[in-house]
Amino acid sequence: MKSTYKYLFFLFTLGLVSCELEEEPYGFYSEDNFYQTAEDADAAVNYAYDALTYLEYSRAYFYLGDLPTDEAFPKSDEGADVQDLHNWTVSNFGTNGILSNYFKYSYIIINRSNAVIKNIPNGDFDQGIKDRLMGEAYFLRAWSYFNLVKAYGNVPMQTELVESIDRTTSPLSANLDEVYDLVISDLQQAIGLMGLEQRLGRVDKVAAQALLSKVYLQIASSKEHGVSLYTEMNKDVDEMYNLAAQRAKEVLEGQSVYGFEEDLIEIYDVDQPLGRENIFLLSMDRSGEIEGDYSKISKLFIPYIDGATVYLENPDGSLVPTHDGWSVFQTTTEFYNSFADNDRRKTELIVDTVYNAAGEVVATYPGAIVYPFTRKYIDPDFIGDKTSTKPFLLRFSDIALVYAEAAGPTAEAYSYVNFIRNRAGLEDLPSGMGLNEFREAILNERKWELSWEGNRLFDLRRFNRVTEVVPEASGLSETEANFYPIPQTEIDLNPNL
Amino acid sequence: MKYVLSKYALLLGFFVFSLPVLAQMSVSGTVVSEDGMPLPGVNIFEKNTPDNGAVTDFDGNFTLEVENPDGELVFSSIGFITKTISIPRDGQMTVTLMNNMQELSEVVVVGYGEVRRKDLTGSVSTIDVGEIEDIPANSIERVLQGRVAGLQVATPSQDPGAGATIRIRGGSSLRGSNAPLIVVDGFPLGDAGNLKQINPSDIQSVDVLKDASASAIYGSRGANGVIIITTKMAKEGKTQVRIQQQSTVSAFTSKVDLWRDPLLMAQLNNESRRNGGFEPLYIGAENSTGVYYPSIWELQSGEWPHFTEWDDIVFRDNPMSNNTTISVNSGTEKTSFNLSANYYTDMGVYIDDDYSKYGYNLRVKHDLLDNLSIRVSNILSKGMREYNGGLAYWRNPIFPVYNSQGEYNLIGTNDYSHPLAISENRLDETEMLDLITSAALEWRIIAPLKLTSRLNYKHGKSINDQYFPDVYTETGDFNDGAGWIRNWEDHNYVSETFANYNDWFGKHNLGITAGFTYENYSSRSSNLGAFDFVNETLGNENMEAGNPELNQVQNGRVETELVSGIFRINYGYDDRYLATFTARADGSSKFGENNKWAYFPSGALSWKVHEEEFMADFDELDQFKLRASYGISGNQGISPYQTLSRYGVSNYYNNGSWVTAVGPGYIVGRAGQGGIEALWGGIPNPDLKWETTSQWNLGADLSFFEERLNLTFDYYQKHTSDLLRERILPLSSGYDRLWVNDGEIKNRGFELSLDAGLIQSDNLTLNTTLIFSRNQNEVVSLGNTAESGLTIDPNTGMQFEYWGNSIEQFRQYPNLLAVGQPINIFYGYKTDGIIQNLQEGIEAGLDGSLAQPGEFKYVDINGDGIINTEDRTIIGDPNPDFHASLGFDLNYANFDFNLFLNGAFGQDVLNTQAFNQPSNQPLRWTPDNPTNAYPRLRDGRLTNLSDWWLEDGSFVRVQNVTVGYTFNLSTQNTSSARVYINGNNLYTFTDFSGYDPEVGGDGIYWGGYPRLRQLTLGLDLTF
Repeated sequence: MKSTYKYLFFLFTLGLVSCELEEEPYGFYSEDNFYQTAEDADAAVNYAYDALTYLEYSRAYFYLGDLPTDEAFPKSDEGADVQDLHNWTVSNFGTNGILSNYFKYSYIIINRSNAVIKNIPNGDFDQGIKDRLMGEAYFLRAWSYFNLVKAYGNVPMQTELVESIDRTTSPLSANLDEVYDLVISDLQQAIGLMGLEQRLGRVDKVAAQALLSKVYLQIASSKEHGVSLYTEMNKDVDEMYNLAAQRAKEVLEGQSVYGFEEDLIEIYDVDQPLGRENIFLLSMDRSGEIEGDYSKISKLFIPYIDGATVYLENPDGSLVPTHDGWSVFQTTTEFYNSFADNDRRKTELIVDTVYNAAGEVVATYPGAIVYPFTRKYIDPDFIGDKTSTKPFLLRFSDIALVYAEAAGPTAEAYSYVNFIRNRAGLEDLPSGMGLNEFREAILNERKWELSWEGNRLFDLRRFNRVTEVVPEASGLSETEANFYPIPQTEIDLNPNL
Repeated sequence: MKYVLSKYALLLGFFVFSLPVLAQMSVSGTVVSEDGMPLPGVNIFEKNTPDNGAVTDFDGNFTLEVENPDGELVFSSIGFITKTISIPRDGQMTVTLMNNMQELSEVVVVGYGEVRRKDLTGSVSTIDVGEIEDIPANSIERVLQGRVAGLQVATPSQDPGAGATIRIRGGSSLRGSNAPLIVVDGFPLGDAGNLKQINPSDIQSVDVLKDASASAIYGSRGANGVIIITTKMAKEGKTQVRIQQQSTVSAFTSKVDLWRDPLLMAQLNNESRRNGGFEPLYIGAENSTGVYYPSIWELQSGEWPHFTEWDDIVFRDNPMSNNTTISVNSGTEKTSFNLSANYYTDMGVYIDDDYSKYGYNLRVKHDLLDNLSIRVSNILSKGMREYNGGLAYWRNPIFPVYNSQGEYNLIGTNDYSHPLAISENRLDETEMLDLITSAALEWRIIAPLKLTSRLNYKHGKSINDQYFPDVYTETGDFNDGAGWIRNWEDHNYVSETFANYNDWFGKHNLGITAGFTYENYSSRSSNLGAFDFVNETLGNENMEAGNPELNQVQNGRVETELVSGIFRINYGYDDRYLATFTARADGSSKFGENNKWAYFPSGALSWKVHEEEFMADFDELDQFKLRASYGISGNQGISPYQTLSRYGVSNYYNNGSWVTAVGPGYIVGRAGQGGIEALWGGIPNPDLKWETTSQWNLGADLSFFEERLNLTFDYYQKHTSDLLRERILPLSSGYDRLWVNDGEIKNRGFELSLDAGLIQSDNLTLNTTLIFSRNQNEVVSLGNTAESGLTIDPNTGMQFEYWGNSIEQFRQYPNLLAVGQPINIFYGYKTDGIIQNLQEGIEAGLDGSLAQPGEFKYVDINGDGIINTEDRTIIGDPNPDFHASLGFDLNYANFDFNLFLNGAFGQDVLNTQAFNQPSNQPLRWTPDNPTNAYPRLRDGRLTNLSDWWLEDGSFVRVQNVTVGYTFNLSTQNTSSARVYINGNNLYTFTDFSGYDPEVGGDGIYWGGYPRLRQLTLGLDLTF
């Protein structure tokens, strides 16, 4: 009898036997249970791409590339960070949220790429898939370091996945060679690993070649124009121009998937994301659930017109609807007037009249439309604020101009520039230009062709011409104009800088 | 002093020379209870020779060699009246000990055991629930307000079934929980606040462990103190049936502050808009959204036909509540049981806002053997919450309920606040089921040694159904109809095995408790969302009818384990000097890899001064005990899995379709205006551990005049370090945040309880209780300035971070965590009245619209001639200086009367409604009324947070009054009936201008509606 109770008693304490106090992760992935299949690896690469879509980063292309230049000025009641960027209030740049977010997301992309680079080689799946995914990760890492070096100059070098607290304070690059050497070698690897396949939101070999041509050009032209830090680089200007031309030429002539769009307005057709021009297009879609998955970039460029749906006139006379916007980026009059009167990039891509569905004029500039606005980012199938408008990250015409600038006034270079000019309804460039004159002409061409595509500031920087061209930046020192400071938070928290 | 010393000398002499010199004799016998059951474990000692004692065995038998055959023996046991009996000539005794309720309440339940109150070494308060049983409640916590010194209970929500916020001796954690641990019949159930599973009328007593020596036995969960609930257990005897019925009717304590004069409302609105440079609204025209607002003339002439008092539509006049408990208790020689059933309903003040709960509780105790008993209990409660809160009682009174077609009258196209449209079309119901079941074995191996092994299982479950129709609600409109079903359940197993040993060795008393416990907690959830339904008639009943492309599913699971070893040793010498040492080792799965085990020691000393010889002359003094304790306890407020590396999951639009993306880093928070910026975490911190609270406590217990006057005093200091905080990481790491242990908070204060039986006669008794407590809180450290992202006040250098909730109307976080200051202090501008003319405004350093007459005159703190953010400073403290409560308990013949007053003093309250209410807007500044008390009305004013918005929130509340009458239905007093009327929240004395100054810990008053006053008619029948 008594033993029965003892048995019961031990039953009660049975729960104590097995407990190791180890937490078994439930419902979330970690390094332990990931990267095992090709699907895992693909999801990991997509995670790296996904970091590009967060609005702190995707909007920053324009906050950095266009707003601080002669193209645009912000709405008067935009926040202080936006105003400061435009006004070149450099004393506040260290704490500017837009600049620190751009910095932060660049490293988030780098970290996610590093995770892929570290883990994919151990996976047990097809080598071909591994190569392509590794190539994409190398590309994204290069993409981020190139953006960082263009924006900030010397930056912390994080080349391995951060997995613990003691790896969070990486040292500053010793010089720009260190950053650029990593970018160049990553892109060379990417070119070697990837094939040719145009997919929305993913890159292929051509994108790596295109980016590499831009990298070489950035070095060449910055060093040539005496931009500090670049002048100390251990790179030869002519060699860099040659390599830029060589890589650009691979893009222009080494394949047939990408090419010029014949019709100017087609380039910006939101429903043709796989248009021939689009070497790398950020992937966002109006069916997404959160901003970043869908895009509100349209709202930044379109002015506020009573919260109404307005219609824009296509070159063929048809009407296309769009929501109105927030008037954030307002076109400067000087920039608007800098276009030739017959330039289609002005007459067709910059809007000064909007209509209602019946085709009646609702508002015009000057008048109820407070500034003439670009229609590079409109989505006729918008859902409320949600659109599929996407930043153009690498465009064929951009690389054509890179080639022309790097190669100088050769017949071939002329032909690429003239194609772009003719498409915009302009005559050929005058023939027989000198090298510098030709490159000046291309700088202007880039300004018109690539306006609102996040390019202008970095073109001006490599020509060392920010203070000259941007009235708000006049009087700044060369360094202040050419490099943003490393964010103060980073300086405060990273003892290795 | 000399006198005391001489008494010591005397004492020493007595100790040395009191050697046994007398002849011995053997005494043996049996000790039984009233009902003849043998009583094991009864302490027996010879009077005047207390070091000569024995303890009864399982059969209640004892043998003792006595030194003085003509002397007396003292029999004592927990729960029984101590008896002193002369030694009979034959040395054979049968002693019956009386089971006494009064004495029983003197037993204090501490963790894994119980002690007599007089032997306590730590700071423990006991509440006899008898006096609060008359207040209807869904959970016990709400009625504990003001009943224990140092226990703060806040009841910010008036929703039916709502819980309470409980704090013991102030908050000690910033990011973890500050709620005490609640323990029911020995089982730790989790955070105190809403113990809805346990019917308050099943509760026998509530013990509150406050200092570290008492709470450290609960280790990593003891830092916030512990509330121990003991439920009723039947005693042997006649079967007793008890019926308790409470019917409650509630009403607002004041009228809702709404516009009763639409003309004045329109005039002031127009004035405000004109002052702000806007077109006035009430001009007899359609506004931009197509809504016609009448002109002043239309309102004045009576031409405008509509006037709606929305509070009459939205609120119930007199919400009714019901609480019925029927219980049956019985006990026989071997078996006793308690069975109770409860039905509780609570109407919210909003129409159709309801809560109901059924519960039953069965407890059975059976003696398998003389020394082995088994105890089983089963508690089930099933609740239903039909939510219909948040209706717009504040809606504009000039609009009718229905339009001329008999449809809901909506104001413009985006009107989502029509109360009837929402009330009649929205579905939001939650079903809850709670089960607590436990089994325990108690084995008295030998008389002084008892082994207890018990197992407890708690299960909670809820299903929430929601449907928001396509029209009338914002969520529904945006999603073309939205339906959700949310499932949640949790399981909590606790297994505990421990031994209690207690014996006398001469004058030495030794008690040891040792054991181990294992806890496993898991919870699971799954949510289904469907939108854009084919047809809305079914609501969320058929989720498949939603648009399949929009379906949402989410699931989650959490599992944690806690393994602990417990140890306590009590040592008493001569019933004068007591020492306690406790230790607990906790191993938690939630802790980081490098800190899996935590150790929590504590110790306490107590000296019963009144037992000393030199105190013998103080006849009126019954007790004078001094206590000192120090110990370490913890707070394991870490969320599970925070110490692990964690990847994030996102969606990416890959080549034309959405795919799942996975990688390092996940979103742990949001920042920026409207939270548009993501904050990333995911790096493991293998060092992450509990927050450590070290506390010392000095206390004294005094009783006078045959325990008619009792006084308890405690002083404490509580120091919490290793606070769980989020550290900011360098941006270049690819992450933003990492949980770390960093920062310190200090609480110190004192508590005083005074309990006096002013009148004690056969027919009339009057008892009064005064409770006073003061807690001072200070943020000692918030870690490294950069790593914690602290801001520095430009004038004082004070380091702080914004804390709590941002207030839209000020675009600022009003509360700070500031080093050297109490938690939640208010930070803002100072004002010096209202600007009376432009010159005054400009001289004050203001410009533009802010310098105009009728605006706030802010003070230029730093004297730089301009008013900007650098002129902000500390403007107030929402922490009360002290809490006090006062209770009177009067019994006359069969009448009983109880009055309970409760108050808090010295706290600042931020009244966000100080200038937007119908009661205060007419007091505005105008050129004709150049007041210094209120600014002018101006739409679009960017109002800064200033001391103008702060008010003294001190109050005294007539918390509770009960009047009862008891009918004796039988001569033996076994049957009785009591009827009573109980009034809760009857009146509040305060200078605060809003409805009620009792707000949350952040001191922010959000308005809302007045507090409810409850009147309960109760019947308590026993037979």
